[in-house]
Amino acid sequence: MFSLISFRQGVSHAFGVPALGLGSSMFAFGAYLKSSGFDLFQSFASSFFTFALPGQFVMAETMLAGGTFLNIFLAVLLTNARLFPMTVNLIPIIRHSSHSKWKYYFLAHFIAVTSWFNMFAVHKQLQQQNKFDYFLGLGGFLWFNAVICTMLGFSISHLVSHEFLIGLVFINPIYFLIMTVSNLNEKKLTTSVILGAVFSFVLYQYIPEWSVLIAGIASGTLGFFIFKKENNDS
Amino acid sequence: MTANTIYTAIFLATCATYLCRAMGVFSAKNINTNSPVFNWIKCVSIGIISAVISKIILFPAGILSETESESRIVATIVTLLAYFLFKKNVIFGIFAGVTTFLLMNFYF
Repeated sequence: MFSLISFRQGVSHAFGVPALGLGSSMFAFGAYLKSSGFDLFQSFASSFFTFALPGQFVMAETMLAGGTFLNIFLAVLLTNARLFPMTVNLIPIIRHSSHSKWKYYFLAHFIAVTSWFNMFAVHKQLQQQNKFDYFLGLGGFLWFNAVICTMLGFSISHLVSHEFLIGLVFINPIYFLIMTVSNLNEKKLTTSVILGAVFSFVLYQYIPEWSVLIAGIASGTLGFFIFKKENNDS
Repeated sequence: MTANTIYTAIFLATCATYLCRAMGVFSAKNINTNSPVFNWIKCVSIGIISAVISKIILFPAGILSETESESRIVATIVTLLAYFLFKKNVIFGIFAGVTTFLLMNFYF
């Protein structure tokens, strides 16, 4: 049964810093789409249906660079491949027998880095049967906010200075960074994060398109196996 | 660039993105939170996110590429220092990082 209280709690969790962190970049993305020849409805559709900023950006960039439709599909698939392990990780946290399976396919649309981190930060304080509705509020509000901010960025970005726009874009990576370090409560995660950053830097010099994915898989696997004992103890 | 081209690109981006999420839901059905696979995937997820952050800060695309790499690196360090110095306050961390970033790029 739907819990309005849990849903509202999720919305109020998203309202504030999480919405600001994601919304600022979506605002700048809306401005980018305008300068790239998109119209307002196309900007709306991009955030409404995709809701994964790096992939949205790659879509626009690949298209503007004259890439084929196959190029666009593969580039976005590669860029957003991180959503696969993130979803595999989040669904067991949220799962409850009272929800039918198809609902998780709907809920998955709201999984993004911001919602993922924020759900992991609080899930142990929530009752299992309330987690689905809480995440629906949290992820759903972030999605709604992202769509609105994209349209705002498209419509009113000419009112803000270029410097301010660049500052807004920078909020997103440093917010992700803070969310990442705030979740480092195990050695295996800390090791995965440090190695992920280092591997990404090194691999980018040789295989820029694959660097993020390979760096993440290699660093996570090493972090997991180096601290295997910690896994067994936990 | 026609409207049809843009809509097709958005549609393909949507399919590629949702495929990752749907495959994740499908693959998660037999995984429980105490299994080693769950812990391994958590490490991989956070490793990928760390790699994404590293790429955005060190090799950005779009308008961030117009800025100096030194400013992005220093601002990142300032963000972390401020976050820990101000008792893990997210707002202070972001404010200190963005202020440093803007000052280094546009006023010095």
